Amino acid sequence: MNVDPRALNELLDESQDLQADALRPTRDALDELVEVNRSATIPDPLENVDFHQSHREGVVASLAGAPLLAAAGGLALVGVLASAASAASSQDIQILQTAASIENLAVATYKTALTLPYIGSSSANAVVNKFARVTMNQHAQHADAFNAAARALGGKTQTKPDPAFVPVVNKAVASLSGASAAQGTLGVVGLALELENIAAETYVKDTVLVRSSTNKALFASIMGVEAQHVAVLLAVQALLNANAPQLISLAPGTAASLPAAAGSVGFPNAFYKTNNAAPATQGAVK
Amino acid sequence: MKKNKNIGFVGTESELVAMTKDLDELHHDVGMPAMWEGVSNMIDNLQSDDASRGTSRRTFLMGVGGAVAGSAALLSVGLNPLHAAAATTQKPSPKSILTSAAFPPAGLKGDLAVAAVAASLENLAVYAYNAGLSAATAGKLGTVPPAVATFATTALAQHTQHAQAWNAVLAANGKAKVTVVNPTLAPTVNADFAKVTDVTGLAKLALTLETIAAETYQAETSKLSSAAAIGLSSSIQPVEMQHIAILYYVLGEYPGVQSASGSPLAFNPTNQAA
Repeated sequence: MNVDPRALNELLDESQDLQADALRPTRDALDELVEVNRSATIPDPLENVDFHQSHREGVVASLAGAPLLAAAGGLALVGVLASAASAASSQDIQILQTAASIENLAVATYKTALTLPYIGSSSANAVVNKFARVTMNQHAQHADAFNAAARALGGKTQTKPDPAFVPVVNKAVASLSGASAAQGTLGVVGLALELENIAAETYVKDTVLVRSSTNKALFASIMGVEAQHVAVLLAVQALLNANAPQLISLAPGTAASLPAAAGSVGFPNAFYKTNNAAPATQGAVK
Repeated sequence: MKKNKNIGFVGTESELVAMTKDLDELHHDVGMPAMWEGVSNMIDNLQSDDASRGTSRRTFLMGVGGAVAGSAALLSVGLNPLHAAAATTQKPSPKSILTSAAFPPAGLKGDLAVAAVAASLENLAVYAYNAGLSAATAGKLGTVPPAVATFATTALAQHTQHAQAWNAVLAANGKAKVTVVNPTLAPTVNADFAKVTDVTGLAKLALTLETIAAETYQAETSKLSSAAAIGLSSSIQPVEMQHIAILYYVLGEYPGVQSASGSPLAFNPTNQAA
C-alpha cells in the first residue's frame, strides 16, 4: 500500500474533528456530573492523610513490577515521593492528579517517539505511525478529563508527568540513540507497552478506590482504552520479534497470513491484573 | 508502508507460540489466584450482613480450586479450550434461551442481580464462540485463518472463566448458578448468526457481543455497591476491550474503540450496554 502522508494527515485531522464532536456531549455530561459530585463530597483531612500513608508502600511495588521502568534511578525516588505533600487533598483529587500525571508522561513519551524517524517519518510503518499519533492525542484527552474532574473538586491541575517514572523513561529514550530502525522500534514499543500497562492497571484499581460514581465512570471509560493500547502493542511487539513487520498492516488479507499465536498474544489474562498499578498518590500535586 | 503481498509468516512462529505459552503459564500462576482472591473478597463483602449463610469463603476457595485444577487437567491431557469450557460449564442451548422467561431470576437484587446478568452475557459469548467454532470445523465458513481460530478458542476460554467467576459469587451466596444465555440478546444473536457465512461475518458478530459485554461492565461499574464487585467487573472490562481491539485488527480496521464511522475514540461509550 502506498501511503500519501498528506492524505493520511487529512484523514487523521478529520478523525480528530469527529472525535472532538463526539466528546462534546461527554464533556457536558462530565461537567454536570462533577457539579453533583462536588456537592456530595466533603473532604476529611484525617482520612486524606490516612489514605496517603496507606499508599506510600505501593511506590516500591509499582516500580519493581515494571522491568524497564525499574531500571536504576526509579527506586531512589521512593523517599521523595513518600513525603509528597499531597495529603491535604481529598482522596479522589489525589487519584485524579496521579492519573493525569501518568497521562502527561504518556503524551510526552509518544511526542518524543514521533520525532524518531522509524516512528514519526513517512518511512515508518503506517500502522505504528498512526497508532502513536492517535494514542498520543487520546492520552492528552484523558489528561484533560482527569484534570477537569480534579479542578471541579477543588484540586489543582496536574501539568507534570509522574515523577517516579520520568528519569527512567528519559534513560530508556536515551538508550535508543544510535539504534537501528528495527531495534529502535522495538525499544519504543517496549517502553510504550510498560507505560500503557501501568496506566490500565492503575485505572482498574482506581475504579475501585475513587469514591464518587462520577469518577468511577470516568476511570471505567478510560481503563479499557488503555488496555486496548496494550493489546495492540503486544501484537506489534510479537510480530516485530518474529521478524514479520510486514504483517503489522491493516491491508485486506493480512489476517490470513498472521501466525496462529498472533490471535491471542494481545490478551494474555482473562482478568486484568493490578500488581503494576501506580500508587494512588504518586502523582498528586504537591 | 509496503504493500502487503500476502507474505506469509516465515519460520519464527515457535517464538510466538513460546511467548503465548509463557503468558498462559503466567496467567495461571499469577492471574487466576489473584482473581479468585478478588472473588472471595467480594463474597465476604456480600455476606458481611448475613452471617447465617452456610457457604463460607473457605468453602468457596476450595470449590474454585477444584474447578481450576479440573480445567488445568483437561488442558494438560490435550483437550482444547472448547472442550474444557463445555466440561466446566453447562453449554447453553437454544432451548434454554426459549425457556428463560424471567431474568434476572426472582430474589436477586443489587450486586447479585448484576452478577446474574453478567453471567448470562458471558454464557452468550461462550455459546456464540462455540457455535462459530463448530461452524468453522464443519467447513461452513470457508477458510479460517489460524490466528482467527486461536482468537476464538482463547476468547471462549476467557469468557468461560468470566462466567465461572460470576457464578461462583452467586453459588457462594446460596443462589443458583446462571446457566442460560442472556434472554434479551439471544434471539438477535441467533438471528445474526444464521446469516453468517464467512469468517468476516463471524468476526463482526463477535465484535458486537464483545462491545455489549465491555460497555455493560463499564456502565455497571458506577452502579455496583461492593468494592469487590466493582473490582471483579473492572478486571473483566479491559479484557473484553482487548478482544475488541484484536477483532478490529483482524477485520483490517483501526484496532481500538471507534465511532460508527471508524473514528478512534478516547473514551469508551456505553450506549450499547445491556
